[in-house]
Amino acid sequence: MQTTLAPAFQNRPDAQEAAALLRSCVHCGFCSATCPTYQILGDELDGPRGRLYLMKQVLEGDRPTAKTRLHLDRCLTCRACETTCPSGVQYGRVLDTGRQLVNEQLPRPLLSGLVRRLLAVWLTGPLFAPAVAMGRLLRVLPAAQAAGVVPHRLHARRMLLLAGCVQPALSPNINAATLRVFDALGITLQVAPDAGCCGAIRHHLDDHDGALSEARRNIDAWWPAVEAGAEAIVLNASGCGTMLHEYGHLLRHDAAYAAKAARISALVRDVAEVLPALVGQLAPRLRERQPQRVVFHPPCSLQHGQKIRGAVESMLTTLGAEVLPFADAHLCCGSAGTYSLLQPQLSRELRDRKLAALGAPRPEVILSANIGCLTHLAGGTPLPVQHWIEWLDAQLA
Amino acid sequence: MHDILRTFAERVQAAAAARTPLCLRAGGTKDFYGNTPRGEILDPRVWSGIEDYEPSELVMTVRAGTPLAEVEATLAAQDQMLAFEPPHFGAGATLGGCVAAGIAGPRRASSGYTYGSLRDFVLGTRLLDGHGRLLRCGGTVMKNVAGYDVSRVLAGSLGVLGLIVDVSIKVLPRPRAEATLQFECDEPTALDRLNDWGGEPLPLSASAWQDGCLRLRLSGSEAGVRSAVLRLGGERLPEAVAQAYWQDVREQSLPFFAGNTPLWRIAVPSTAEPLALEGAMQVEWGGGQRWLRSDLPAADIRARAQALGGHATLFRGGDRGQGVFTPLSPALHAIHQRLKAEFDPAGVFNPGRLIRDL
Amino acid sequence: MDDSAVIESRPEVIDGLRRLLPARALLVAAEDTRPYECDGLTLIRQRPMAVALPETEAQVVAILKLCHAHQVPVVPRGAGTGLAGSALPHAGGVLLSLAKFNRILGVDRRGRTATVQPGVRNLAISEAAAPFGLYYAPDPSSQIACTIGGNVAENSGGVHCLKYGLTLHNVLRVRGYTSAGEPVEFGSLAPDAAGLDLLALVIGSEGMLALTTEVTVRLVPRPTVARCLMASFADVGDAGDAVAALIAAGIIPAGLEMMDQAATRLVEPFAKAGYDLEAAAVLLCESDGTVDEVEAEIAHMSQVLRDARATRLQVSTSEAERLTFWAGRKNAFPAAGRAAPAYYCTDGTIPRKHIGQMLKSIQAMEQRFGLACPNVFHAGDGNLHPLVLFDDSDPDSVARAEAFGAEILEESVRLGGTVTGEHGVGVEKLNQMCSQFDRATLDAFLGVKRAFDPAGTLNPGKVIPSLHRCAEYGRQRVTGGAVSFPDLPRF
Repeated sequence: MQTTLAPAFQNRPDAQEAAALLRSCVHCGFCSATCPTYQILGDELDGPRGRLYLMKQVLEGDRPTAKTRLHLDRCLTCRACETTCPSGVQYGRVLDTGRQLVNEQLPRPLLSGLVRRLLAVWLTGPLFAPAVAMGRLLRVLPAAQAAGVVPHRLHARRMLLLAGCVQPALSPNINAATLRVFDALGITLQVAPDAGCCGAIRHHLDDHDGALSEARRNIDAWWPAVEAGAEAIVLNASGCGTMLHEYGHLLRHDAAYAAKAARISALVRDVAEVLPALVGQLAPRLRERQPQRVVFHPPCSLQHGQKIRGAVESMLTTLGAEVLPFADAHLCCGSAGTYSLLQPQLSRELRDRKLAALGAPRPEVILSANIGCLTHLAGGTPLPVQHWIEWLDAQLA
Repeated sequence: MHDILRTFAERVQAAAAARTPLCLRAGGTKDFYGNTPRGEILDPRVWSGIEDYEPSELVMTVRAGTPLAEVEATLAAQDQMLAFEPPHFGAGATLGGCVAAGIAGPRRASSGYTYGSLRDFVLGTRLLDGHGRLLRCGGTVMKNVAGYDVSRVLAGSLGVLGLIVDVSIKVLPRPRAEATLQFECDEPTALDRLNDWGGEPLPLSASAWQDGCLRLRLSGSEAGVRSAVLRLGGERLPEAVAQAYWQDVREQSLPFFAGNTPLWRIAVPSTAEPLALEGAMQVEWGGGQRWLRSDLPAADIRARAQALGGHATLFRGGDRGQGVFTPLSPALHAIHQRLKAEFDPAGVFNPGRLIRDL
Repeated sequence: MDDSAVIESRPEVIDGLRRLLPARALLVAAEDTRPYECDGLTLIRQRPMAVALPETEAQVVAILKLCHAHQVPVVPRGAGTGLAGSALPHAGGVLLSLAKFNRILGVDRRGRTATVQPGVRNLAISEAAAPFGLYYAPDPSSQIACTIGGNVAENSGGVHCLKYGLTLHNVLRVRGYTSAGEPVEFGSLAPDAAGLDLLALVIGSEGMLALTTEVTVRLVPRPTVARCLMASFADVGDAGDAVAALIAAGIIPAGLEMMDQAATRLVEPFAKAGYDLEAAAVLLCESDGTVDEVEAEIAHMSQVLRDARATRLQVSTSEAERLTFWAGRKNAFPAAGRAAPAYYCTDGTIPRKHIGQMLKSIQAMEQRFGLACPNVFHAGDGNLHPLVLFDDSDPDSVARAEAFGAEILEESVRLGGTVTGEHGVGVEKLNQMCSQFDRATLDAFLGVKRAFDPAGTLNPGKVIPSLHRCAEYGRQRVTGGAVSFPDLPRF
């Protein structure tokens, strides 16, 4: 699609980039088919192609109203459209710029802006963990599985682990299980004490500067270990992985950080990328038992954001699980970061559809790979919902 | 315009000016079909011959007055065929009449797409309409969505929109192998089996149940037919017997079709239960076409067909004065009338043959 | 610059629509309606007066009646993937989206039918039928996104229609409304519905004869196995001859597709199908049936292809590999977005014997117009899809692309073919309709339109060119004038 930048944007690198990315869209409409919100709402404006058109109008100088913002806000940023798109449109990047331009021209109403700022501070801040604990105490939130024993052996192979922000509070066993599995494989995972939230939460709540600060802080925290030869930065929350892959792009104009950020992005590995080559070693340690019937919900950040597809499923099969196929595995569960809080209706509808699809083959457990999906899905089903690495950890004798 | 066609056009224009009905009729092999023909006869047999046929294109373009037998013989020489296996109902059948009647034979029973109804194979036509215009609709290629598909509407139109001048028809290679299997069973069992087998990837190309006996024809590659025969069991008929049998089904020359009892063709969804009407039955097309010999009142038969989700045609004999086809809904009837008015405003072509007031 | 201004807004119609529809189901402001200004054909755009997104059939009927009473055009739209502009909005009309009608109403396993709403995606039908070992055969390349309502409107084909037929051959019944909002039902679950076969007219009528609200399709049993044979050729003419040779040998492959070298090179980065990028053309030949049957047919096809000078043959060894072979073909159009800012896909169909000659003519046109044109063909049907690559920000490039496309269509007619095999005429090929049909036949088409829609409010202005347009086009072709859509706003 041809986009003629309005004079006001002609010298802005982000607008230029967005216009260039829009050029590769040929308006075929394949993306609508895999867009979760289009499936529910059936309005072109709630699908990727229509949103690109809305953003094209903004870039061409039409002043957006709250309607354009509503349609952009309804986007889950699941990026299923990018997987579907035969012409390779980088929709996610266009959307980041589009949302920013809209917010610049049409500041959010006071209350909605405030909610977003508070969410960003609260979710990533020091008060979140105590709040979750309080919620559990008051039985508002379900109890989390205990983390269990964490290994402290030092191995020759070392990698960094991003501990994350909301995950340790919501589900402490995921990191512990990750550490145990890697320990069993002879790899020490180090957690840099100064690293924190990857920045995705702020990034998706319009706080781009805040997100960049978090990125710089993490880079600083990891840099000594990177210099010392850490093999990889390992993640067990695919949402964070997608964000870390973007560091290089987001900081490309920052002279002090551009090179480091690119290096960090290149070192990022989801656990699903590291383990397939190694799980064979675990075979002797697996408990003998009946194959368990599992479904694996691939988070969008894994399958679309990081384009890691099929790796977990085949690994689980190797490890003796019966991995059941289900319909529409490419569609988002509606969690999508803070989407579940900001668009509760759509989010719940997507969750219910996802749980119906996941439940259809009658699994014993639902597995996934991102804390957001896990928490979101667990809220609507009596079935156990686990990170697949927790499941793997539990198989080890 | 060719001289012969010009003569036709002048005849049509004169008839339109005088409001004289014309009866489009060649060999008269299908005079029995539809509402009673009336009008001065316009015989298209002077416009005869195969205009174009290239076997590798799978298309034959034929003048309407060409004998159907000639068409089929020419195709057979190239190991090809008309995949809808049209009945001739007599030696004088022409391709134009065949298309206008729109009747397909046993091969329509295909469970995949491969074979189908007559209209499925019509690619293009030239039509002389009631204004005396020679219209060229569709074409000679496999796929063509330019303009409305007027050609296919002519299939089964009984000539009410105009004189079909030429038809381009898709043809297919003859199957390399065929086999006919026979099973003893009652009608409900036959319907059950036909619908079960229809859901399996089997090369079914015809089916007929009558008098406690279900016969199935399989057509395709040697390997495909062989494995289907193994899968289905039953008694295999000698090929000569089988061919004669299907020929009789096609031409309605089985004893079932003899005599003067009215013959009803009842089209229903294949899964419809047995009609359970008084009279002899023959089931074809995987259950979708049911023949009934019965003296029951038309209203009863139509009501039963409608209850089963289908429609009934008084195919042969009986009281033809009340209209032999199932009446249309008012909305569809109005569209029919307006279409007729567009193509044949003076109402010269085969008046009443398809619908009594059309 | 607003190049798609609404010609006249009709406040009384808008007010009427507001009373009929909830706020979320009616778009009027330019901000909201502009993203609807075109379908898959972006060369021609037009903003509608309003976009209606009804959620119930009662709303559909009410919209039709309101528009009929006010003589306001109604343009139906499905997923907006059409490539001929059949869903191009009308400047003073209502664009009626059926996207919310996306429920599968039932799959009848024994009867082998599925009844669906028009906004159901083509692929979703096969997915719903899969547990019963059945599928819906027509598979247009856009099947992931295109809807059955659109398929009915366009009589869509696909890569398997040589053996399994077009939409026409696989739809049993269409229920809908006339432009006046009267209920109508065409076809039936029983064979050969009474009266004229109006279903055959409605299918492929590009939404001009009736509005579809429910479709019953035929499902067919999934073959036990399907395998795809990929053959390379050193010369496009050889590949064209090989197609005719296969048919002449009595083989009807389940799919028979061709891609030239430019096309394989275009799609390989996305599809990673392992196409032979050195070959001048690649043929994809599919065989389906029982295991024995497929093995025998693959052997037969291989022999014919080798005799027809194939330089390399590769047979898919797994279902995954077979789907990969097809993935590149099915994504070929949009993948053009990787090579150029825009593409113009035409859809002529010619007798198979002329394929080689046609490819050579297109190569000459590439030189003459200075634009690249990769080719993907439904070779078994003789249906061409040349993809003219151009730059839509350069008016000269746009004009050359349009002229290039027009010339391919003229050549198709000259070779005894048609200007559109499966994409439809829409507004894109209105001019070439003047070449393919004489005035009498075009007038007869107008008569068909009047018979179904006497008021002429349903998707007017598509498919059938006016007398004036044909006269204009005839003059341009004599003088070599350039503008092919004189009465439409420019891109």
